[in-house]
Amino acid sequence: MSDHNIRLDGPLPPAALDDPHLQPATGHPERMEALAAVAIVIGMIGFVGFIWAYWVDASTQWQAATLTVGMLGLGIGTISWGKYLMPQGPFVEERHDFHSTDDERSAFNAAITGRGGLEVKRRGLLLGLFAVGGGIMTLALLIPGVRSLGPKPAKSEDPHGSTDVSLFTTNWRQGSKLVTVGGRQVMVDDLDVGGVLTVFPQGYEGSSPDQVILIRLAQQAPNEHYTLEPPGNTEWTAAGYVAYSKLCTHLGCPVGLYQEKTQQLVCPCHQSIFNVNAGAIPQFGPAPRPLPQLPLAVDATGQMRANGTFDQAVGPGFWERP
Amino acid sequence: MTARLAAPAALVGAVAVFGLVAFSSGPARADTSSTTTAPTTVSTVPGAQPGTVQQTPTAVTAVPSPSAAAKNAAPSNQGGIIYTDLPASFIAPGQALFAANCASCHGPLANGVVKNGVAIAPNLEGLGAGTVDFWVSTGRMPLENISAQAIRKPPRFNRIQTLEIAAWVQSLAPGQGTKVPLVKTAGADLESGNTLFTLNCAACHTISGAGDALAFGAYAPSLHLATPTQVIEAIRSGPGNMPRFSPGNITDTEARDITAYVTGVLQHPNNAGGAGLGGIGPVGEGFVGLLIGVGVLMLVCFWIGDRQ
Amino acid sequence: MIDKSLNWVDDRLGIAKGGRTFLDKIFPDHWSFMLGEIALYSFVILLGTGVFLTLYFVPSGHEIVYHGSYVPLRGQRVSEAYASTVGLSFDVRSGLLMRQAHHWAADIFLGAIAVHMARVFFTGAFRKPREFNWIVGTLMLILGIVNGFLGYSLPDDLVSGTGIRIAYSITESIPLVGTYLSFFLFGGNYPGSGIIIPRFYVLHVLIVPAIIVGLLAAHLGLLVKQKHTQFPGKGKTEHNVVGSPMFPTFIAKTTGFLFMASAVTFGLGGFAQINPIWQFGQYEPYQISYAVQPDWYMGWLDGALRIMPSWEWVGWGHTIPLEVFLPAVVFPGLVFNILIVWPFIESIYTKDTNYHNLLDRPRDRPKRTAAGASMLTLLFAVFFASSTDVMANFFQLPLLDVLWFFRFFVPLAPIVAYFLTYKICNEMRAAEGIGKRKRALVVSRSAEGEYSTVKSEPRPGDAHEELEAIPVPTYIDTTHPDLATAAGVRRVIR
Repeated sequence: MSDHNIRLDGPLPPAALDDPHLQPATGHPERMEALAAVAIVIGMIGFVGFIWAYWVDASTQWQAATLTVGMLGLGIGTISWGKYLMPQGPFVEERHDFHSTDDERSAFNAAITGRGGLEVKRRGLLLGLFAVGGGIMTLALLIPGVRSLGPKPAKSEDPHGSTDVSLFTTNWRQGSKLVTVGGRQVMVDDLDVGGVLTVFPQGYEGSSPDQVILIRLAQQAPNEHYTLEPPGNTEWTAAGYVAYSKLCTHLGCPVGLYQEKTQQLVCPCHQSIFNVNAGAIPQFGPAPRPLPQLPLAVDATGQMRANGTFDQAVGPGFWERP
Repeated sequence: MTARLAAPAALVGAVAVFGLVAFSSGPARADTSSTTTAPTTVSTVPGAQPGTVQQTPTAVTAVPSPSAAAKNAAPSNQGGIIYTDLPASFIAPGQALFAANCASCHGPLANGVVKNGVAIAPNLEGLGAGTVDFWVSTGRMPLENISAQAIRKPPRFNRIQTLEIAAWVQSLAPGQGTKVPLVKTAGADLESGNTLFTLNCAACHTISGAGDALAFGAYAPSLHLATPTQVIEAIRSGPGNMPRFSPGNITDTEARDITAYVTGVLQHPNNAGGAGLGGIGPVGEGFVGLLIGVGVLMLVCFWIGDRQ
Repeated sequence: MIDKSLNWVDDRLGIAKGGRTFLDKIFPDHWSFMLGEIALYSFVILLGTGVFLTLYFVPSGHEIVYHGSYVPLRGQRVSEAYASTVGLSFDVRSGLLMRQAHHWAADIFLGAIAVHMARVFFTGAFRKPREFNWIVGTLMLILGIVNGFLGYSLPDDLVSGTGIRIAYSITESIPLVGTYLSFFLFGGNYPGSGIIIPRFYVLHVLIVPAIIVGLLAAHLGLLVKQKHTQFPGKGKTEHNVVGSPMFPTFIAKTTGFLFMASAVTFGLGGFAQINPIWQFGQYEPYQISYAVQPDWYMGWLDGALRIMPSWEWVGWGHTIPLEVFLPAVVFPGLVFNILIVWPFIESIYTKDTNYHNLLDRPRDRPKRTAAGASMLTLLFAVFFASSTDVMANFFQLPLLDVLWFFRFFVPLAPIVAYFLTYKICNEMRAAEGIGKRKRALVVSRSAEGEYSTVKSEPRPGDAHEELEAIPVPTYIDTTHPDLATAAGVRRVIR
């Protein structure tokens, strides 16, 4: 092997045509060449086919098929050329250590600690000022870079704060009319027992924090209450209706899956299961808290209304939540 | 040498086979006009099964039924759905069929059976012909064995027999429950059906209608075999764990739009991109991407490189 | 002519010496060294198809009425992002092919990274001097997952919108700063002020890919500088690399491989439908579909979220949603950090500070192999846990049973996998000469009556005759055929 160590510096040793290292890997190079040629020609046909498929606006399948044939043909041809026809060696390359000599190392270190370090030691004040200045600059640049991104979350529980900046509030108020996402007002007779409907406070149709799932559990008079097991609030039901926030307390997915027979709400995302008859208390899964219950009332015209707002923040947990 | 040649040859062959399968099963093209026409061509024969006596629903309504006319007003026709009254002549044969096939669980009067304080079969009075038609025409009733949830299977009764049983159950509580609907999906608003399906149905049946497992052994069934009549019956009667959607919640027009979307679009999805992979989203895609995508390319590596 | 041009360039840039070394660079021939190339070429395809997609995609949450050619959506109010994605699928020629190929390439990209990384891990290729490259690779894996999620979210369809909602809540779950982070990221309470799509867009098409390109350059640069590792055997030592030269052999193979990767990606792109967003519809925060999973490379996080018990911590006027924070923030943080520091952990544990250019056989490092198998088992277990509902439906099992199974399986399986792998490795090591023809044992009795056993010589034919590796010659002198011997061609018996 030592014969070849000169190769990068001096004249390069050539190899003869019949050197075994330069022979193709296959015993029948002419056959393999023909095969590679055929593959590349098929590939060419494929690409021409793709142009045709594009031109006549053929289906995605035709486009993909022609393109795939083209790529396969070229790929198989080129790989066969490289694998079977090109000199296979084996060839070897020397490996050298990465690290520098001890002299080089100490010179490098001295340039940093000696030359630079001496200057830094001598002007300690400037270095300190530079560090502080750089820190202040970073802060100054970061403030608009971060603070402009969005509003600060509202800290406390302001019942009339905007839902855009507060995780604590919703747009449900005493007397809010229940409407569908299309804005249709929900009347007391709209749902049969076992019926389910996604509702919003009027004026906020489609709003994420306000989504509520309305379920009719019994055929009752408007002033009657359906008895819920704790922690459900019986007083907050009306005419056999119960309403819960549709935001899962796990990760905020809409809890849209109502199993009528077993009286459960299931979150389709991570399969938290809530007991509808017991204030939507979680029975299984990762959700930690019941879905907040919305107080309901029926007015004199039979219109379904909210009889107050949620008694807690809706949706998943967060640090500021008490 | 031949072994080395076999690898590229096998690759070409595998791709060719894959292509043929995809071509034969895939739809023609992203040409969505086919989707528009699909709903209009959907048969409105509810629950018609090959090998059984078939009768079109229009023929059912054409049967003169003086007694039905006397009991109820004319068939209601709102928003493209006709709720039919079954002829009185169906009641007697229906009772006989019920006694022979259903009474062992539901009781001879269809009022349910309670054994040791546990209801083993529900009272059917007042559920209406539509409810019965749904359970029987989807083959869920009669039950084969008692499980958490009845499964869809080929129906035991033909269309007429099914409607006869439904007529008898309906006669126990006239005017109550869900009637058998007739629905023409032609001209329905697919966009509206799409929106309503997503809001009301996708949470259980999935957005592609493939269905999925629910809690406690229940599952939301696939909608890919449902007929328009069965879709309406399910919406209105809420079978099993499904909520009931009354006309105050989903109007007849909206129910028809949903039906058109289910039978027209979901049952004939536009899979312009190739094989649908079961319509179960990234789970199927992940398996294909890893097994076929990464897997085939690893085989190519294996071909290109040394193996020792 | 070519000589002249090269000389012209070399006069100005001095490329000849380094260029020659580069063209002579030796690539080991073993197939497992090409796994990283799957990732590399998937990334190339991602860039190409991605540029195509940017020409048609409109990164805007602004609502418009859909008027395109997919009928069930006509007249619906959708975001521009959604409408333009459906539009480029149906109304731009080859658009659907490009979009699907892009998505498949992303799935393959991350899968190939995982496989490549497993190869590097189990063979110990991350050891000194290659710790930097291991870290660079791990960073690319993380960024690849992030960018996959970002791109998946851009069409604003029902399935990906649910993913964004979950991402918001996960950000919100971080103690102290979570609320601020999520408000700043989304511009307010969920769904924010409609700027998440444009923000994800600039991250997806510019910032993250730019970082990945930089890391990729570093990855390949380090590879050239430090040279490949290689498996032991056949004249391979710690001080050389044996294989094929960069030019022309490796170039031909690898170019062909780029074509093969394209063939597979575009084949899938036209025959296997991926993410048919027209079937999903526009995302609205109050709508949801069942059986919604993230793309596979996010599945392990989703699975961890699913099987986590509801351990919310409440006290002192604060809430820490541990049921989210632990599986979705702490767990991936731990996994990635363990990956990053693994080379250092191992070298501290083994007190090994030597250079390593020859690879280990996994069985010869039973503890490392067992640790890797354990980690893979853990990741696979949570990955499968992310499809509990689909599994329950497919195998007709009760959903809660499946969930309970995974609650036990996920923590226990890695432990079992560790000891099992450790045992298997040791057994395999104990069996000497595994996979080779057995050599006969010759029992002989000495004059004193003492018995001794020696192995016989290898059978004729078992010894492997092959060429000794030579440096890459500057080709080929057709005028001096007699130089064949001068070049030192020797046959060696191994």
